[in-house]
Amino acid sequence: MVGLSRRRALGALSVSLLAASGCSTPNPHRAEQTASEGDPLPEHVRMVIPYAEGGGTDVWARFIAPFLTAEMDRDCQILPENLPGGESIIGSNRYARDGVNDGTSILISSGTTYFQYLLGRSEVEFDFSDMRPLVLNPTGGVIYGAPEQGVDDLDDLFSGATDLQYGGISATGLDLSALLAFNVLGMDVSTVFGLEGRGPARLAVERGELNLDYQTTSAYLGQVQPLVEEGRAVPLMSFGQIDQEGGMGRDPALPDLPSVGEVHREIHGEDPSGVAWDAYLTFLGAGFSYQKGIWVTGSTPDSVTEPFFEAARKLSGDEDFLAEGEQVLGGYPVYSGAESEDEVRAALSITEEVRSYVLDLLEREHDTVVH
Amino acid sequence: MLDAALTALSGFLDPWMLVTLLIGVLAGLVLGLIPGLGGTGAVAVLLPFIFLLEPQQALALVIGATAVIHTADTISTVLLGVPGSASSSVLLLDGHTMARKGQASRALSIAFVSSAVGGLVGAFGLTVSIAVAQPLVMAFASPELFMLTVLGISLAALMSRGNVTKGLLAASLGLLLGQVGMAPASAEYRYTFGSLFLAEGLDLVAVALGVFGLAEIMSLVARRTSVAQRVELRGGWGQGIRDVFRHWTHVLRGSFVGIWAGIIPGVGATAGSWLAYGQAAATVKDKKRFGKGDPRGVAAPEGASTSISAGDLIPTLLFGIPGSAAAALLLGALLVFGIEPGPSLITEDLDLVYTIVWSFAIAAIMGAALCFLLAGPLAKLSFVRFPILAAGLIVVMFVASFQASQEFGVLQVMLLLGVVGWLMKYCDYPRAPFLIGFVLSIPLERYFFLTDSLYGTGEWMTRPAVLVMAALLLSPLVFKAVRRVRSGSGGTSEPSEPRETVTVGGGTGHGSSGTADGSGSTDGPGSAGGTGEAGGPEGTPGSREGGDADTDDAQGADEPEGGPPQTGPDLRGSWWPLGTALLFAVVFAAALLTGQTFTESGKLVPQLVGTVGLALSLAVCVQEWRRLKASAGPAPGLRRELGWTLYAFGWLCLFLALIYVAGTVLATAVFVPVFLRVVAQLRTRGIVVYTVALIAVLLTLQLAADIALPQGWIMPAFLL
Repeated sequence: MVGLSRRRALGALSVSLLAASGCSTPNPHRAEQTASEGDPLPEHVRMVIPYAEGGGTDVWARFIAPFLTAEMDRDCQILPENLPGGESIIGSNRYARDGVNDGTSILISSGTTYFQYLLGRSEVEFDFSDMRPLVLNPTGGVIYGAPEQGVDDLDDLFSGATDLQYGGISATGLDLSALLAFNVLGMDVSTVFGLEGRGPARLAVERGELNLDYQTTSAYLGQVQPLVEEGRAVPLMSFGQIDQEGGMGRDPALPDLPSVGEVHREIHGEDPSGVAWDAYLTFLGAGFSYQKGIWVTGSTPDSVTEPFFEAARKLSGDEDFLAEGEQVLGGYPVYSGAESEDEVRAALSITEEVRSYVLDLLEREHDTVVH
Repeated sequence: MLDAALTALSGFLDPWMLVTLLIGVLAGLVLGLIPGLGGTGAVAVLLPFIFLLEPQQALALVIGATAVIHTADTISTVLLGVPGSASSSVLLLDGHTMARKGQASRALSIAFVSSAVGGLVGAFGLTVSIAVAQPLVMAFASPELFMLTVLGISLAALMSRGNVTKGLLAASLGLLLGQVGMAPASAEYRYTFGSLFLAEGLDLVAVALGVFGLAEIMSLVARRTSVAQRVELRGGWGQGIRDVFRHWTHVLRGSFVGIWAGIIPGVGATAGSWLAYGQAAATVKDKKRFGKGDPRGVAAPEGASTSISAGDLIPTLLFGIPGSAAAALLLGALLVFGIEPGPSLITEDLDLVYTIVWSFAIAAIMGAALCFLLAGPLAKLSFVRFPILAAGLIVVMFVASFQASQEFGVLQVMLLLGVVGWLMKYCDYPRAPFLIGFVLSIPLERYFFLTDSLYGTGEWMTRPAVLVMAALLLSPLVFKAVRRVRSGSGGTSEPSEPRETVTVGGGTGHGSSGTADGSGSTDGPGSAGGTGEAGGPEGTPGSREGGDADTDDAQGADEPEGGPPQTGPDLRGSWWPLGTALLFAVVFAAALLTGQTFTESGKLVPQLVGTVGLALSLAVCVQEWRRLKASAGPAPGLRRELGWTLYAFGWLCLFLALIYVAGTVLATAVFVPVFLRVVAQLRTRGIVVYTVALIAVLLTLQLAADIALPQGWIMPAFLL
């Protein structure tokens, strides 16, 4: 009896498989679609988010998507899809592999994504120099110290009297921007990695385990400002902001704080320069100035990208939107990628000199080898 | 303060508030019920709605789901032995054993009532502890967290009663598996073999479902029996309520442990539930009953499960540090509404905080009440022939573990872990320490390095909380030593090997015979005899607590404590246990060798774990070798039993192969009917209804809940 039903099972199996292959496409991973100039933006757009549901980048993307479509003069629905993992490489690779250029699929990126690309991780299959930015939203960061642990002002960073202790998540993550700032300023900082996030790092400062930390602007304003008012934290400098012309200036959201460049001038009496400074600027742009973005494949025609550009232009002047999104956007503007496409791509490219300098620094000072 | 609380409460007069809360509760219940989906599933389902609702309603929606996920995930753990979530796997020990004894509805009602109590305590604790959370969180710095992980791993010894060596080996194996992925202290990947999906580390869901769930399926599927092996004699859900009243201290203690574990960032739900179970098991007098269907082993962790979610809200709201997927969703919702979490939340948005508190309390009661209504009908599932359930479970489990990385490789890893779980189950390794080790592996390493680099050795070791935990760790050893000195003889020099005498025979009588110290009242972890855990071959006649047997704890006291005999192959006397130990030795040796290439800080823990694991597995090899030599050869019928298992394993492989070729939906359409016909021998009508319903569920989840289904190579375009 068992034999009979097994035979029948095998029969059923092969019949179903045949039926399945009958109604199938040969390749499930969408064949490369090529759009040409004049093709319209499709009605349904898949938004690939290479980060986990509910995280900062995910919330940003899901928040901004309906505002963008509302500003478009056509029907368009953005469908978010999370593909997290592998420091965002998995999802971004899948986007690059799909290679669609007709706008049916767009990619969300964040600092972590750029960093993997800039560091030349062997797993990375995407290439931002061959992609088009649709919408960009910068953010900034503040380096602050703990007076209770001997960091009262800028001088304490350089006097050598205080042991500077910085805690980070991973040397190849956004912490790298802070490390490169310390490096270009010539600060002697001992670092420890392995914290679970920036929140725990701030708690460690409050506990007195660390005395040097950075937070993104919105986290700084929400969480560190109260400590500053109590005298338990002191802001030292901002990372600064790369403006749309590619120059470096004060962070518009933190106008009272000197930037890293200014601090260098004040302490060392000259403008920062050289490969250490180039390295800092490269990772500042990727990690902060162009941190959050929506991207498409490089060959995507203007007729597909223009609705996004137009919507972003409208949003950047929309006071209601900016007010509603203050927390999500971090108090920074949203702008279209059209005006600064080349600057952004330039900022996201890295010279071999800078890359080997950074890789060498990571290996030498932080025992970190990037493959 | 009272004003704000009442204002927030009056918000619930708005029927829409209650409706959104109820929708959240229902979403949490349904997704909690599906093994492995739980928190992440709820996040995926609810996320889009947050952007559409008003702040108060969106919060009610999220909190509604958060509060009940861990109530619902109990159900499949208790009834089927397939963990509904990693944190509920603690209920496999006592809850599932009760179900196997036919007391499923009793176990479930204990769980639901405890969970509701935990929810209320949690909501109350949330209100009160906002004031004390700041100093509490500040007091738990890296050294304390490090000691806490050590304490957690030492639970491994407690959970492994029968054979401490094997318990520690299992823990080491878990620790090693936890090392896969990114190293915390150095930005390098360990044991990923160039595979990107392993870079994040193995997903807890895949590990828990593999080691417990798939192993269960492999051992039960071919048997065509139901989970419950005995018809319920008496006591049902009414008995469960009485149990809760009798053991109310355990419910409360569990709840308090839960809140505390939730408040401290970095502990997590899984470790928290185990800690709640561990404190209950360690402090009762008759601890030998734990793991054999003791109601307290359900009440304590289940009281904790919901209160952990409540406690978790505190670091989320006060510090912006979410401890779970659901808390991350809440944080995202707050950001969308322009609310920055932080101390200012208490001063400026107090009514919002109270909305959260009230939502949590109401949802916890709603969820428990709904579950309670369902408990009776659901409990019947444990009397259904297992293969009928297995068809759906196999599909759901593979889909659930696919979610985190969405790579086919995770399914293969899970199948492999199923085999490991099966080997552990039948070679008498407790699997609880394995899971604890896995969960705590990276935290242990992280907090060790942070402690080591931020503090001097003398400095951190003398911190008060560290000293207290060190005392907790050492006290059982001291007790034991004192007792041994007093009694003069007593314990054997090797308390870890209570089973020198091996009895051969179907599923009975080995275990506590070796423990000489009968009193049990001050037993240290690991010395109590008996069986490892719910899954192990059981049926120990000994170790009955004659003196203080609770008269109305009918099943527990009147019957052999091991519960119903465990079906499955009896591997004793065969080469299997020795082979398994050798396999583990090889794994550790390979890990040691591979670990040579890591950086200085990256290789410390792998080398430590590898060395200890290798030593332990060699010790177990010797044990097994002796046992093999002393035995009278394998049990009769072993070959047939192994055949059954291989048959079940073959079905799992077949399903994976089908997914690989044809994608999930088609694979299900082919696999489920064939399986139901051949293995479950279901009638045609049943097969059709079952298959159609299952596929409908899959497609609904894919459309409504953004659940990704593994794709195959041949797949119709409309299913993409």
